[in-house]
Amino acid sequence: MNSPLLEVRNLRIEFPTRRGTLLAVDDVSFAIAPGEVLGVVGESGAGKSLTGAAVIGLLEPPGRIARGEVKLAGLRIDNLLPDEMRKVRGREIGAIFQDPLTSLNPLYTVGQQLTETITTHLHMSQQQARSRAIDLLAATGIPAPERRIDHYPHQFSGGMRQRVVIALALAAEPKLVIADEPTTALDVSIQAQIIQLLKTLCREKKTAVMLITHDMGVIAETADRVAVMYAGRIAEIGPVAEVIHRPQHPYTAGLMGSIPSMEHESERLAQIEGSMPRLTEIPAGCAFHPRCEKAFARCGRERPELMPAGSSQAACWLHAGDSARRVA
Amino acid sequence: MNPLPGGSEDASLRRERVSSPASGTAKPAARVAGEVIVSADGISKYFDVSAPWLNRVLEGKPRTILRAVDDVSFSIRRGETLSLVGESGCGKSTVARVLVGLFAPTKGRVEFFGRDLAEMNTATGRSLRQKLQMIFQDPYASLNPRWRVADIVAEPLRAHGVMTESGRITARVDELLGLVRLSPADKVKYPHQFSGGQRQRISIARALATNPEFLVCDEPTSALDVSVQAQVLNLMKDLQRELGLTYLFISHNLAVVHHISNRVGVMYLGRIVELAPKARLFSLPRHPYTRMLLDAIPDLDMTGRARTPVAGEVPNPLNPPSGCTFHPRCPHANERCRREAPALRLHGDPGDDVQVACHAVEEGRIG
Repeated sequence: MNSPLLEVRNLRIEFPTRRGTLLAVDDVSFAIAPGEVLGVVGESGAGKSLTGAAVIGLLEPPGRIARGEVKLAGLRIDNLLPDEMRKVRGREIGAIFQDPLTSLNPLYTVGQQLTETITTHLHMSQQQARSRAIDLLAATGIPAPERRIDHYPHQFSGGMRQRVVIALALAAEPKLVIADEPTTALDVSIQAQIIQLLKTLCREKKTAVMLITHDMGVIAETADRVAVMYAGRIAEIGPVAEVIHRPQHPYTAGLMGSIPSMEHESERLAQIEGSMPRLTEIPAGCAFHPRCEKAFARCGRERPELMPAGSSQAACWLHAGDSARRVA
Repeated sequence: MNPLPGGSEDASLRRERVSSPASGTAKPAARVAGEVIVSADGISKYFDVSAPWLNRVLEGKPRTILRAVDDVSFSIRRGETLSLVGESGCGKSTVARVLVGLFAPTKGRVEFFGRDLAEMNTATGRSLRQKLQMIFQDPYASLNPRWRVADIVAEPLRAHGVMTESGRITARVDELLGLVRLSPADKVKYPHQFSGGQRQRISIARALATNPEFLVCDEPTSALDVSVQAQVLNLMKDLQRELGLTYLFISHNLAVVHHISNRVGVMYLGRIVELAPKARLFSLPRHPYTRMLLDAIPDLDMTGRARTPVAGEVPNPLNPPSGCTFHPRCPHANERCRREAPALRLHGDPGDDVQVACHAVEEGRIG
């Protein structure tokens, strides 16, 4: 494997509160290769969006990176000064958020926002930047971009706005895009268009993508690898087909079983009893063990780290024997 | 299930039910057995979204009418789940609200046990209304944050005067909480102490308080995570079996609809474009919009395969296209589609119970 574009090592995000420190993301490590799409899935509160925000340096205080490091193309970016980070953001890392209306400034035309981004990060004149902005809008499938460039965000529909946001994220040709629930606010038919667009553009430009979503379907057709997060940790990470069809962690298996399928008829959905623990009461050992049907004594005592499991890696003691067996 | 109050009323209901002229939708025998509980007959709901009067006068702005629901007819039989599915703005939630009487229909009528919903505000109507409850999408907004669970769940009992004695109310609340797999100890807590899935269970317990027969569920799982959604869907299916409930289920998620329904209606810009038993709709979708929707769903089994995105977007409902409102996005549209709105008609073998509103399907231009 060539050297990773993004490397996150032992990332720990804390929220100091009056009632003690909350651990939102705990010891998370992963890497994304150039041009690769890594899907990050999990339920609300699993820490997936915080991980994305930490990478791009947009953690909202009082949240802070307490430990670990984030490296982009071999250079640490988690300890940059705000001014330095601002240059990385947009230039090296683009961002797409869930709600296209809040990520665009309603007081400026989309053209002004695009040319601002372009002239900030690339050495271009206003004229060049404008023609590049028109090209970008055209590439994202916005009809009549020469006219639309002078429109305000409210004049666009939801799907079109998300296209503008994608154009904005890709304006300075970043090497990495963090897409946090990019299609969640959109209707299914528009969702398909946006996913297709994101996929095509990133493949053409060899942009790596960290795709954060709760929608397994979106991951299935977009990602190369997928990381499943639970209670602030990665439960399983591996190639997308493996994780979906041969889940190694009991949580992943439960998650996959709870998705209603259109292919086969079933009276009941597989269900994981209970719900994800609150940050204040994360159980000792494996955070999933109170809900896990396969839990045994060790699970409540000792926290499992990611270990090889099948073609993936899973943080589960069920696989403790796997590597030993392989060696033997 | 409690019998309807008043023997004579019950008999008159039954008579009306038999003579009710089947509300425009043909009902072949192939369906879930059981009498029709709810029928919507050509209901429309228009909203006046015009500029204020002064602006209209001074600026010469016209009156603007939003046709949120336009001539929708269907009927639901006892024990059945009918789902309405469609993209945002297609009018599915408005149908739900008309059905429970939160909106009065602009045109058409809703019959509940053969009686016009418009009479529901009369004294006899009120007892019927107990049989009709609703579950809302957002379990954060639909529960009063200042009330304890016990009061929330008991509210319908008190409002309808079903029970007044506090001992009986407490017993009923305990029973209801047990029904939705919550503990009776939870009843002294406030909504913020529960997760989204548990809150939705509280909503369900509240809806079940008056022993309803018909529940309108407006996107009950859309705000929930998948694993929690699975819990709530399983619970809803169990309750349907245990209590013989009838559901109208509103959702934008086709996979959820596939899981829960017996029949499915697909809505587009205020109209039903296809209404068919679930198995037929998913295996052999007829209307081009249904086909596109099914194509657009990301499927876990097609890892890496590209899907065909639906072209274009839903048009502005204030200014819908002429004729069939889907024609600008439809690959099969011709002159007739641009001119004339298709009616929802039975298609193919009447036993199949498939209704489609499409000229191309009717003319046999598409299979």
